[in-house]
Amino acid sequence: MFLVAILLVGLFAGCSSDSKTSGNGKKDVDLRIWSFTDELKKPIKTFEEKNGVKVELTIVPIADYPTKLKPVLESGVGAPDVFTGEIAFLKQWVDAGYWENLSEKPYNADKLSDKYVPYVFDLGKDKDGNVRALSWQTTPGGIYYKRSIAKEVLGTDDPTQVGEMMSSMDKVFEVAEKMKAKGYSMFPDEGAIRWFTQGDNPQPWVNDKNELQLTEEKMEYMDYSKKLRDNQYTALAPEWSPSWFEGMDKPIKVKEGGKEKETQVFSYVLPTWGLHSVLKTNVKESVGDWAVTSGPSPYFWGGTWLGVYNKSDNKELAYKFVKMMTQDDEFLTSWSKETGDVLSYLPVTDSIKDDFSDKFLGGQNNYQFFLDQSTKITPGIVTKYDQQLDTLYGNAVQQYVTGKKSKKEAIKEFYQKAQNAYPDIKVPKK
Amino acid sequence: MKNLNRYGYFFIAPFWLVFLVFSIYPVALTFYYSFTNYTGSGEAQLVGLANYKRLLTDTYFVEAFFNTWKIWGVNFALQMGLALILAMIFSDMRVKLKGIAFFRAIFYLPNLITISSVALLFGILLDWQHGSLNMMLMKLGIISDPINWLNEPTSAQLSISLILTWMWFGHSFIVVMAGVSGISKDYYEAALIDGANRWQTFSKITIPLLKPILLYIMITSLIGGLQLFDLPMLLTDGIGSPDGSLNTMVLYLYNQAFKYNNYGYAAAVAYGLFVITLIFSAFIFKGMYGKERKQPRQV
Repeated sequence: MFLVAILLVGLFAGCSSDSKTSGNGKKDVDLRIWSFTDELKKPIKTFEEKNGVKVELTIVPIADYPTKLKPVLESGVGAPDVFTGEIAFLKQWVDAGYWENLSEKPYNADKLSDKYVPYVFDLGKDKDGNVRALSWQTTPGGIYYKRSIAKEVLGTDDPTQVGEMMSSMDKVFEVAEKMKAKGYSMFPDEGAIRWFTQGDNPQPWVNDKNELQLTEEKMEYMDYSKKLRDNQYTALAPEWSPSWFEGMDKPIKVKEGGKEKETQVFSYVLPTWGLHSVLKTNVKESVGDWAVTSGPSPYFWGGTWLGVYNKSDNKELAYKFVKMMTQDDEFLTSWSKETGDVLSYLPVTDSIKDDFSDKFLGGQNNYQFFLDQSTKITPGIVTKYDQQLDTLYGNAVQQYVTGKKSKKEAIKEFYQKAQNAYPDIKVPKK
Repeated sequence: MKNLNRYGYFFIAPFWLVFLVFSIYPVALTFYYSFTNYTGSGEAQLVGLANYKRLLTDTYFVEAFFNTWKIWGVNFALQMGLALILAMIFSDMRVKLKGIAFFRAIFYLPNLITISSVALLFGILLDWQHGSLNMMLMKLGIISDPINWLNEPTSAQLSISLILTWMWFGHSFIVVMAGVSGISKDYYEAALIDGANRWQTFSKITIPLLKPILLYIMITSLIGGLQLFDLPMLLTDGIGSPDGSLNTMVLYLYNQAFKYNNYGYAAAVAYGLFVITLIFSAFIFKGMYGKERKQPRQV
């Protein structure tokens, strides 16, 4: 029996030492936070110093984040007190009931509604309109372009004027044609325009009646994509591919129709964070030669929300952290100045937006620009299906662009795949 | 005396506990979920055989089934062919090649690289506009326009097959060589004296005596092959592009469960996959051993 006992102790030793550090109600850590980036490291340090507490941050890579967090939240064992959510699964999570209802006492988050960028605040609400999560940032997008090319081809590098020249898809194609004539590529590849698919008719993928909605505007996007490819307006560099990154700084080679040419990419369609974590980290030579302006329609891409776990036994401190991240004037002002992150908390943005300028963008006040964009975004069109349906639709568009399928076939296949993924939604039978 | 016997159970208890908790329990739970509409959170409701009914009429699952077989089949044929040819060369008494340990290590190396690195590597090699393969072919004048390898269903499937072959032929080669070295040299010497040529020696002596080894390789490869997931997941967009050609059974299962949150249906897919693996393993087993039993052994 003794032997067995030893064997069993050895067997479960791993488990027990684990639960000591991550179990509930232990003394060594006051607050546990889970997230998928190291973004929160600095704020946590500030929070620890301010309140004299110890916080443990667990970072799980985004690909595993939902799968790892879900069982922990379901069982409550080793669960965090605060956890963040990314836009990709945010809508599922606000409805799943893991986040504390912040509309109730003592939080009364409803009162904050007019202090935030509308679409950001709206996304943190569950289907009954209760606030479950808040965000400190807003992530609207724009089109980043190279000033020197704009000057040469369009005669101006002024963001407002260039934005005016791209205010509709037709106008974008006019610019693209001019770019092509001088040997430039409008976009890295046709995927760049996917953020403008909504056109001026933003609708959720799945409406209240549980019906899949493929709007005329979204169908037109197929033609726009094909036109970009067929007329050779792009550099055939798909997003995140090595050539996509290379094209930011120097000319890249494109092989099309039996010929090889060298071309420079005029613009990249990216959101707020694209400036700091994509462009700035990859561009060396053309620093200062960039500017950002608006495209045919406003859009946003990404974003992080955070809330309090509803089974946490330290909700007060947990909300204190959420509050610091989302409503603390002093902290948010310094955070924003340090990182350039565009905030969604209006009391702070109002006081700092006027004297922002970015050297990378030739001194442009991108803060002001993004704030304007973010207020133009229609709230309430994000659904829990978006991430997957966007992928499936992008796939269908690709089939059409590369000439594998006709538009009709591609749409039909999209409907079938959407139905297969989500048997509960009503899909048009066409 | 009775007490003595009990110790055996105590010694195997740790294994059984782990096995029960981490293998049997999930397998049983998956079986239960396959009769529900579980979505990953909240309560699971029983829906009877609905998931299995859907599975039988699911064109995407059928597509995944054939894709998996195509990719595995091509890979297995190439991999075994290569392994056997190499084994034939290295075991040939007339050639007596040196440095077998060195080659064994070289052949086996690709198997040690993690799949994600392999996928990244081949993603760059096969890249449409800037891939080394296209550049080479264009420099040699074989093609005039770059081929988008991973955007054509046939070439995408073939790419996966070839990558798998490259990764696994060394492993098969080592196992085959182990089998070959177990065959008594007497047979080969006798054959040599009788004037048998290389092919005869190989097909009449080596292959028949290697049967159990070949069976082992085939079954393990089949089980691994039917679970093909990582390369198709990583090489294209993760949902089986181009045109569903890389949609394998496990990839389909994964997407149903973790992307679309249809955990109940995914559990049914898992059991479908289990039944398929079981049937084919049984077939191979029968095919290899069934005939032998009918023939009485000659002394």
